[in-house]
Formats: sequence, structure tokens, C-alpha cells
Amino acid sequence: MKTDDLIQSLAAEAAPVKPGAVGRRIAAGLGMGVVVSVAVMLAWLGPRGDISTALMTPMFWMKFGYAAATGLIAAVLLSRLSRPGVRVGALAALVAAPFALVALMAAIRMANAPPESQHALLMGSSYTHCPWRILLIGLPILAGAVWAVRGLAPTQLLPAGLAAGACSGGIGAAVYSIACGETAAPFLAIWYTLGMMLLAALGALIGPRLLRWR
Amino acid sequence: MLAGLAGEAGPYRRLLDELSGLLRAYYARRAPSGIDAEDLVQETLIAVHTRRATYDAGQPFTAWAYAIARYKLIDALRRSRLHLRAPAEEADALFVRPAAEAAMAARDLEQVMSKLTPRTQALIRDVKITGLSTREAAEKHGMSESAVKVAVHRGLKALGQEYAPQDGKEGVDED
Repeated sequence: MKTDDLIQSLAAEAAPVKPGAVGRRIAAGLGMGVVVSVAVMLAWLGPRGDISTALMTPMFWMKFGYAAATGLIAAVLLSRLSRPGVRVGALAALVAAPFALVALMAAIRMANAPPESQHALLMGSSYTHCPWRILLIGLPILAGAVWAVRGLAPTQLLPAGLAAGACSGGIGAAVYSIACGETAAPFLAIWYTLGMMLLAALGALIGPRLLRWR
Repeated sequence: MLAGLAGEAGPYRRLLDELSGLLRAYYARRAPSGIDAEDLVQETLIAVHTRRATYDAGQPFTAWAYAIARYKLIDALRRSRLHLRAPAEEADALFVRPAAEAAMAARDLEQVMSKLTPRTQALIRDVKITGLSTREAAEKHGMSESAVKVAVHRGLKALGQEYAPQDGKEGVDED
């Protein structure tokens, strides 16, 4: 086909496009992922036994907030990486900001704790499960993110995969925090972060293959 | 582009026209031998069209379009590397066949044309194969334009009758 004819037929297909399509599609993908993820969490682990009192404690909201904030910043990053020619810039560093805050709180808590309780603050009672549970609960969200971004136009596939993984890791960890009974900042800084990083690594691994579009 | 996003065909068409010129220049310098630059231009135009919802009004249009062009170039390079790994024998087969077919087609054409008068042959050759306009052919042979048209038309019609499929058999293949 000649290029002029192609242009003619493309111009004939010009139909109005609503603005904000990128944000809507990513929100839809993540939203569907979260629905599945919450269902998995409820069916598999159930909310923690003391959820109604836990909702009153700052520690619950710190856990939830740390994970959700990381996930939402990564989601903004992902929406930028889904558009050609948009620079990511300083936003990439901002993903680590919630972690920096939690790490600082963990350091203060550790410094003030008696030596015999430090081990318990770091390891809690569920460190062998926590990162893997976050990985599994985050998987449906990663699938939703991949679906959304494939329909957009990512031009740097590895960074886009990494952002999709970090986003699903953060939101997945927030979903998991409803089921998790740990209460110490040092535990959060290590094991929640590890769970999110597992998903980020998975996203970076699959990004270059699954996010390719034609 | 904003007009394109609003669904206005006219300005959108002009944008794609201008963009195709920019893309041609972009790929002319970057596409390595073995990759057709015009294919890349077309693929990028299609991507610009189908993914136009990812363009943001606050963003420079060229930055957006060139990012897509670069993605398409990298994608084409990656695919061509995969193709280069195919064994050399297969590559030979790919290239030899069309050449042989072209030679056979040329020979068939000579045979078919020989049924016509020399002047009609020359006219059909000039107008339908060399690609002269009717007027150029008319000047060359010292005829009027309409006479050229009629001669070419009759010549082609005669060939059509000569080689038309008869009783379900294909006439051209019989000899």
C-alpha cells in the first residue's frame, strides 16, 4: 500500500478521543486486579482476627499507608512510562520516599529497644511467609497492570515492567496488610519491602516480553 | 494533533502528511540495509493513529511521535536479528524463486505479445509496461491520442479473447 493511501484511510478513521484515556485504562486494569487480589486474600488468609481494633491503631495505618503510597507513586510512574516521549525524571526517586520514611522509623525503634527484643522486632512471627504472600496477592494486580499498559504505548519496556511490578507490589502489600498481624516498623521495613521488590523484579523480568506492542 | 484527537479529518490528514515526511528523513538515516524505511514510516503512522490516545495535549507532539519512531526502529532491528539467524540455504531459496518466476513471466509475455501486430505490440509495451502516458505514446508513434487508446484497448481485448479460459481450462497454461 502506498503511504499516501494509508494516510488517506487513517485520516478517514479520525474519531474523537476522550482525554484522560491513559489514566482511565490504568485505573481499570489496577482496579480489576485489586478486586481479584482482595478476593484471594479473604479466601486464603482472611482479615486478621482483631481487625476492628487494629483499624484504630496507627501501626495498622502505617503499614497500609507505606504499601499503598509506594503503589500509588509507582502507578503514576507507570502512567508516564505508558506514554511515548514522556520523561520520568525525579518521580522515579520518589517511589523510594515512603521506604526512606519507614526505614527511619525502624532505625529509631531499634535504637530505643532493649537488645533482647531487637530480634523479635526484625523477624516478627511471620517473616518466612510475608514476602511470598505479598508476591502471590500482588500477582493479579500485576496481571491487570500488564493488560492496561499493553494497550497503551510503552516505549521503554524494562522500566515500564519494573514500574508495573513495583505498583502491584505496593498495592498487593496494602491488601495483605489487612490480613497481617505484625506491628513493628523494623519488620515492615525489611519484609514488606522484600515482598514488593519480588514483584518489581518479576515485572522487570516479564516487561520486555509481555509489554511489547505492534 | 489536537484537531486529530477531536476527530477533524482535514487537519489530521495534513498532520500525518507532514509527519510522514519527517519520518522518512528519520528512517532514511537510521534504517540499516535490509530494512525497508518506507515500511517503518507506514508502521509508525499506523501506531501514531491507533495509539493517539496516549498523546497528552501538554506534551510536544514531535517528542511523542519520535519516541514511537524510535520504538518501531528498535523493534524492527530486533526482529531482523532473529531473521538473520535463519540458515543460509533457506535464505537462498527465498531469493531465487521470485527471480525465476519473473524470468518465466517475461518469457510468457513475449510469447503472448507475438500474436499481435508489431505496432500494437509497441503501443502496449509503451503504455502498459514502460509506463508512458497516452499522450507521450501518441507523439512517439505519430498518432492521435484517441487512436492510441483504441489500439491499446483492442490489442488487450484480442489477447483476452485469445487466452480466455475455455471449457474450464486455462488457455495460457496449455502450451
